[in-house]
Amino acid sequence: MTGLAIEAENLTKAFKGTQALRGVDLTVGTASVCALLGRNGAGKTTLLRILTTLLPADTGRARVAGFDVVRDPARIRARIGVTGQSATVDELLTGRQNLEIVGSLFHLRRADARARAEEVLDRFGLADAADRLVRTYSGGMRRRIDLATSLVAAPPVLFLDEPTTGLDPISREQVWKAIRELVVESGSSVLLTTQYLDEADRLADTVVVIDSGQVAASGTPSALKRRVGQPRVRVVLRGDSGALSKVLAVLEPVGGVGQDGTVVVPAPDGLASLTDVADRLRALEDEVEDVALAHPSLDEVFTALTDQPFVTAPSPLEIVT
Amino acid sequence: MTLAIEPTTGPERLRFALWDITTTTRRYVLRARRQGDVVFGSLLMPVIFVVLFGYVFGSAITVPGGHYRTYLMSGLFAQGTIFASSSIAVAVATDMSEGVIDRMRTLPIARSAVLLGRTISNAIIGLPALVVMVSCGLIVGWRPEAGIARAVAAFAILQLFGFAMAWVGALIGMAARSPQSADVLSMLPSFLLGFISNVFVPTTNMPAWLRVVAEWNPLSTVVAASRQLFGTGEGGPVPDVFSLQHPVAVTIGMALVLLAVFIPLTVRIYTRRVR
Repeated sequence: MTGLAIEAENLTKAFKGTQALRGVDLTVGTASVCALLGRNGAGKTTLLRILTTLLPADTGRARVAGFDVVRDPARIRARIGVTGQSATVDELLTGRQNLEIVGSLFHLRRADARARAEEVLDRFGLADAADRLVRTYSGGMRRRIDLATSLVAAPPVLFLDEPTTGLDPISREQVWKAIRELVVESGSSVLLTTQYLDEADRLADTVVVIDSGQVAASGTPSALKRRVGQPRVRVVLRGDSGALSKVLAVLEPVGGVGQDGTVVVPAPDGLASLTDVADRLRALEDEVEDVALAHPSLDEVFTALTDQPFVTAPSPLEIVT
Repeated sequence: MTLAIEPTTGPERLRFALWDITTTTRRYVLRARRQGDVVFGSLLMPVIFVVLFGYVFGSAITVPGGHYRTYLMSGLFAQGTIFASSSIAVAVATDMSEGVIDRMRTLPIARSAVLLGRTISNAIIGLPALVVMVSCGLIVGWRPEAGIARAVAAFAILQLFGFAMAWVGALIGMAARSPQSADVLSMLPSFLLGFISNVFVPTTNMPAWLRVVAEWNPLSTVVAASRQLFGTGEGGPVPDVFSLQHPVAVTIGMALVLLAVFIPLTVRIYTRRVR
């Protein structure tokens, strides 16, 4: 064991003329969450299929849970959990039956399979629905039972292909919480693909941005955001137009008006810059609604890295610290 | 770390593989029980066939040296062996297109387990319909004239051939682009095999060119084997075609050849599937 959950070197893969992967390197440490961020067709799913032993790479090598994907696929399969884009649980079976059958396919002892099924049902808030047919589940419940089946055997490495695509906000929160708890409690490592910047921001220790089959950037979410631009202070005003000119006069020469009508000041020194702006505004306290330090969003990061705006993300959250 | 238990020795590997096959079979049988409409349809089909062909067409058909409905029943038992293949083809193609097969391929199970579970469960799921078919036969006057032992042998051979045909269906399902194309690809051959044959009428009065096709149709051999073992009459002189002269041996031979070819081929596609 190398202490790494996943390590890939120079993976390439071509399909009938199109180069899906052009030399991807990737490492995921034990007990951490790595998000593969990219658009449709960027190569995320191809990479996932290679790492889950479904697809041989053209060149390069990869190890998962300490085993080589080409030489030891069977050993890897006993150590990974995989959740695909579409729910693949059997909707004509109950939630519990689905879990017990997967436990049985991982060769758990019968009693262990039962106990584990009970445990993951609890964890995902599905205990009450355990003996209902999956057909009767809501979309969010299906996704949770799907995720639950990949956890029955407590695999050390988990692959999640777009785990919250199509889920409502409450279900997304539940799935996110479950993933985080999993990492903290069992020390599992997670590689997930996502098109959602907020998901990467919320869940991942490291983000790997994939574009046209290549790694465009990687790092912690905050490091990536720092790479693109410096933080800034946003000043929200109380309304009338007189306030704007007064505030701008105080903040000259650095202040500018943002798209949303707020006043924006670069904050190269982070909190120190914030304090400075707050000091200058003290006399105008009645005109100012709010002053806050803001970092660039991952949305802006993505646009800067890949030269194209990220269109699929649903109203990305601006991260305010 | 993982709770999964891995086999380490050869015999253990075999024991685990058998376990995997049992588990996948159990899964498919469990889910089949929940499809009430499908179960109902599959139980109704034998009744419709016996009434439709036995009474509607049968009222105008006579077979030399025997009773038509008795003649027909042995044919219908044999024809049943090819219908399962197309439902398997569609089911496997659906699993492929919905990512179920991919998910199964990431599990630490024997490479043959999913498809064996599918084909074995199919035989089990078909048993109630067979019971209905036998009951219908007994009601309309069909009897295993050649004795219980030969009747048991007949059902065993028909199950073997049906199992072989299920693997043909599984290959079509693995290779098809979509469930719809699997449906077309598998329905057409089983329709042609099922009707250009001796299932419903003796081949004797067919036009010469069609008669050749019908007599060399593998299903006609299975039907002949069924009629021979049930002792329900051949409907006239047996054509001078080797496979119809020795139908039991040829049917067993065909089934074994199909299994020897299609099991490895289909499992290979399952293992290497690239999409």
